[in-house]
Amino acid sequence: MKKIILVVGARPNFMKIAPLMHQLKGDTDIKPILVHTGQHYDSQMSGRFFEELGIPAPDINLEVGSASHAEQTAKIMIGFEKVCIDENPDFVLVVGDVNSTVACTLVAAKLNIKTIHYEAGLRSHDRTMPEEINRLVTDSITDYFFTTSVDADENLIKEGVDKDKIFMVGNLMIDTLEANLKKAAVSEQKFTLLNRTGEVDINTLLNTGYGVMTFHRPSNVDEKQTLEALVEIWSEISEKIPLVFPIHPRTMGNIKKFGLMEKMNRPNIYLIDSLGYLEFIHLVSKAKFALTDSGGIQEETTHLNIPCLTVRPNTERPVTIWEGSNKLIAVPEILSETEAIIRGEGKVGQNPKYWDGKTAERIIAIVKKI
Amino acid sequence: MNRIITVVGARPQFIKAATLSRQFKLAGIEELIIHTGQHFDTNMSDVFFEEMEIPRPAYHLDIHGLTHGAMTGRMLEGIEAILLKEKPDGVLVYGDTNSTIAGALAASKLHIPVLHVEAGLRSFNMQMPEEINRILTDRISNVLFCPTEAAVANLKKEGFENMPVRIIKNGDVMQDAAMYYAPKAEQKSDILKQAGLSKFVLATIHRQENTDSPETLRNIITGLNEINRQIPVLVPIHPRTRSILTQLNITPEFKMIDPVGYFDMIVLLKNCKLVITDSGGVQKEAFFFGKHCITLREQTEWVELVENGYNILVGSNVLKLKDAFEVFSSKVSDFKINLYGKGQAAQIAVNEISKI
Repeated sequence: MKKIILVVGARPNFMKIAPLMHQLKGDTDIKPILVHTGQHYDSQMSGRFFEELGIPAPDINLEVGSASHAEQTAKIMIGFEKVCIDENPDFVLVVGDVNSTVACTLVAAKLNIKTIHYEAGLRSHDRTMPEEINRLVTDSITDYFFTTSVDADENLIKEGVDKDKIFMVGNLMIDTLEANLKKAAVSEQKFTLLNRTGEVDINTLLNTGYGVMTFHRPSNVDEKQTLEALVEIWSEISEKIPLVFPIHPRTMGNIKKFGLMEKMNRPNIYLIDSLGYLEFIHLVSKAKFALTDSGGIQEETTHLNIPCLTVRPNTERPVTIWEGSNKLIAVPEILSETEAIIRGEGKVGQNPKYWDGKTAERIIAIVKKI
Repeated sequence: MNRIITVVGARPQFIKAATLSRQFKLAGIEELIIHTGQHFDTNMSDVFFEEMEIPRPAYHLDIHGLTHGAMTGRMLEGIEAILLKEKPDGVLVYGDTNSTIAGALAASKLHIPVLHVEAGLRSFNMQMPEEINRILTDRISNVLFCPTEAAVANLKKEGFENMPVRIIKNGDVMQDAAMYYAPKAEQKSDILKQAGLSKFVLATIHRQENTDSPETLRNIITGLNEINRQIPVLVPIHPRTRSILTQLNITPEFKMIDPVGYFDMIVLLKNCKLVITDSGGVQKEAFFFGKHCITLREQTEWVELVENGYNILVGSNVLKLKDAFEVFSSKVSDFKINLYGKGQAAQIAVNEISKI
């Protein structure tokens, strides 16, 4: 029986680990050990995701909490090294591009434990993103590379990775999305508003349609000038179509700090707290479009074939552009692009290969063979 | 760049860093040194810094004696705190130790450019912690100073040409050091007198893959014993290896002495007939001082030495070791070929840094 440690740290990891844990339930060849590094700062949110996604409680929680990049990476390394020495697993499987990903890979590599990186090979080619550094470092020392799309394979081959070590398995996020869409549809969709008193019931917005927004990248929300420009654009869009905006604490903090709250008080902007997974995917699945700067939603909208406007100069998930319904745009383009979508001229895409809900199955089958 | 932070921790890194420190001074670039504490022993005392004219570290993290993960983690924390305070224009790291990755990783996350000296070296053995450290550091470095053509070629194979980084072949700073210290070493060292030998083979064994397997170690000692019957073999030996020999009840026929400092090593290299080693650095130093080298490893980062016939890899195979000894006993080579930059490496690197 092979012993495999699966690592989760932050919110985007949970949706990727969930289908693997489900797939491994009752498996007689592989014994999974789930390690939560505790990198995610909000333990309540983390607990809620685990519950919603049916992830079993972690076998080990390192509880590192929030800290600077180096400090967090350091704490995870120190804690995870002890776990690896105690457990002596056959494999360590990491996902994504967070500090837990790089810290645990480095520890395992030094102990000569075979490492598997799921979501390997993604590149934004923008090294000012901490995630890009995490991706580069992790892929430089990983033994087996599980990728979500062919562009990732190509990136790895260009970096000298042996083809035999790369396995295109599809997208675990889509496994989770497929498994939960129905369940999400019956979840409560009433949320308290943050930009004025009252609440919003998403179901009442279905007739007119609405756009869903997420913004949290430092390049978009950390400078007053950029954020103010965005707020003005949102306000203009909201005159044409309602916007639902589950807001990241960082963005909320900056809106308040820069004195922009007044401008957010528009009747058609529905500013709400960040959501649980089920609420969020339901919100996205019923939206006319998504306006975002985050990673995962680019993939979810591609699978759902909902137009997505990504306000970033680059993306590490280009397959959502080549094949999917995603478009990279700059701030001045937001308005005209949104108008096009409202006119019914939004981008139509197709579902990339293996984004079919069966990725966990493929991964486990390969792990049994290697 | 006007202000550099250098992160070092292992003994050889101090010697490498000193070559650039001298050039920084000439170029008027401010340099602060962080000593992680990775190597911490009597050989790293005040005398070491004075004799080697190595600038004193501005910061001492005092981190040593831990497992790889814990050590690297603690270093990351310590280095980040200093970088946040000092805000340097660049962070300079050397070689392939835990101090190297900790410095590179801390800096890259703070968007401080990482300068890696000895970039691009590969043994292609991922079981070696150094190999992991090298690959990882290169991948997040912004300026990669390569000692050799082979190092540049390795980076090209890993796609570095398409990355937003600079690759510069500057040569090997250890050749700079060897040339700089050689006259001084001959003045200061009396190791030849101490050893009481004039014609000898110099051998070093320290790699865990050689010392921790009784069978491998026995093979190597047998081989060295046989060579010793033809020409005396002198082995500066680490106390750890010596105690392993005692435990295994192995009594070598050749002469063993306590570990030697850099100056003594230079003199031994200059005066020996042949070098046998499992160290990476000693393979090159043999070449700098015009000596053939037999390497007790299956791979080497210094492939150009093998390709040009200066070095033979024998692993721990007694027959191969004896064959290589036969080959080199009668071989005369020209050591003038320029493989490592002939002592200009630090100057080229600092000149590049000053232009960034």
